[in-house]
Amino acid sequence: MSEATAELKVRPMDEIDIGAITRIDEKVTGRYRPDEWEQRAIYYLRRDPEAPQVAEIDGQVVGFALGEVRSGEFGLEEPTGWVEVMAVDPDVRGRSIGKMLAEALFAHFRERGAKRARTLVDTETMGDLAAFFESVGFEAASLRPLVKNL
Amino acid sequence: MEMEITTLPKKYHSAVERWRDLYLPDYHLLVENWEKYFPKEPEFKLCAFRALGMCSSIECGDDEGKPKYQRACEMDENKAHRLLGAVRAQASTEFGSIQQHQLTLSRAQSEEDQFWILRMMAEELRHGYQMFHVLLTDDWTSVSDTSGEQMVEEILEMRTGSHVLGAFNVDFDSFVDNIVFCCLIDRVGKYQLSMQKVSAYAPMAESMPRMLQEEAFHLATGVVPLRRWVTEAARGSRYTPMSLIQKTINKWFPRGLEMFGDERGGGANVRLGFKPMKNGEAQEQYHAEVSRVVRDLNERFLRERVPEMTATQAERAQREIIEDGSTLHGITRDDLLKLPDRRFYRRRGVSAFGMVGVDGQTFDSVDDYLDHILDSMPETSRAGRDFKRHAELQRQVASGELTAEDASRAAPQLQRVGGVCPCSKSVRWVLDDAKSGSGNGNGNGSGHANG
Repeated sequence: MSEATAELKVRPMDEIDIGAITRIDEKVTGRYRPDEWEQRAIYYLRRDPEAPQVAEIDGQVVGFALGEVRSGEFGLEEPTGWVEVMAVDPDVRGRSIGKMLAEALFAHFRERGAKRARTLVDTETMGDLAAFFESVGFEAASLRPLVKNL
Repeated sequence: MEMEITTLPKKYHSAVERWRDLYLPDYHLLVENWEKYFPKEPEFKLCAFRALGMCSSIECGDDEGKPKYQRACEMDENKAHRLLGAVRAQASTEFGSIQQHQLTLSRAQSEEDQFWILRMMAEELRHGYQMFHVLLTDDWTSVSDTSGEQMVEEILEMRTGSHVLGAFNVDFDSFVDNIVFCCLIDRVGKYQLSMQKVSAYAPMAESMPRMLQEEAFHLATGVVPLRRWVTEAARGSRYTPMSLIQKTINKWFPRGLEMFGDERGGGANVRLGFKPMKNGEAQEQYHAEVSRVVRDLNERFLRERVPEMTATQAERAQREIIEDGSTLHGITRDDLLKLPDRRFYRRRGVSAFGMVGVDGQTFDSVDDYLDHILDSMPETSRAGRDFKRHAELQRQVASGELTAEDASRAAPQLQRVGGVCPCSKSVRWVLDDAKSGSGNGNGNGSGHANG
């Protein structure tokens, strides 16, 4: 199917997407982690199944964005939409799929009463991702990640 | 989506709680262990949720674009009658599935699986409660002489064997049934709920969003344990081998297909604005979706058994093993899962009582066919009343004593008669009279399913 005619759709993730998500993650990270994605999927599906989103082209899942609205994290009492994991199949990048996924997540966060979305990016190792988040409106925040070697 | 939360009047609320104490006796365990298995998630609450701000005009059918009905009395009699049947059937399935799950709940291999199922059962109870809310907040006297109170009593008195839809009358024999049921039968429920989300009757449509949210977890409760079981099977575990999963799929898949109703029917529901898809179209989508589940499970098995196999290789291997009958890495067709032929073990719809096997092979001898069904299902199904009744009807069809259509109407399903039995305070049931055509029309009309 050519790029021009392929139908791109974003919809809430369901339990059948676990296999496709595992494959995309494997393509991106080189690691096959089915157990981890099963755990993550069921976590979202039982808490707020309309929050996690997948993008599909002609019925094939090519990207996903997982996140949810939580309150009380890190002293932030206001409902906050946390973007936790996002990935797009490297074979179909450059078609604004990540942007569409992010917009779908933001729309859901708004519906759940969140006025802000937040995420964390390691700017040293994930520069591309940081640039992507900037492109969809994220900016540096005063909430600083802290780390301690153990 | 904003939700309006309500509870039923006290006597009905208490009746559901009493039913819960009888058929869901482990409910208190769920409450006690909620924080352990579902940390930071809102506790379960027995109530009805109605979504606010949904589409207010009819979304399909002859009256598309007109305002949705708020009350049954705004509809013509035929429409209201059909709607009432749908609501009662939906309520029946919700309570029916709890009775089935309870049979084998305690046989779960893992506590986590058990608590997932327990939560699912509590949510099915809430779905039944939601349907009572729909029944009790309207006046159905224009189409029924049964009061709301009697309708509630009827549904709460039903036992496995007397529910409106076949799948809810089939006994569970092991915890594999609980899981495969969630994967296959709750999936039909998802379709029905999704279709009813556009119902021309606003209270029904508004009941669906929350039920669908909960249903998403119910489906995962089926698929995730199945994925773990096939992984363990690939490692050589003997607890839940692929052959048992396959046989349990063979047991439930035909019932799932039938829950959509006859493949040729469902047009009336579309015309009347109650559902956006005919039975055959919805069943087709269901088949494609379940095929995807099976392919994913096979991939999980193959990659666990042969760790160096990539996703693409696993996809190819699956095709070669299943379609070409090849043996790869010692894995044969019998080691992987397959959906049975759609005509296998059917008692409703176009293939009812046709003697077609799991691989599409046909049988001339009814004894050979019944043996094939038994060989294809878990051993414990052999002694069940559901199979016994099916076998009797299959023989009657084979001998020409009954037509397949009559047999469909008489297939394991009971019909309520004569109101409430004064001596036992229960509802009396008799088998449908196949020739009277007094069945609920499920054989040729629309299907319903639990959600």
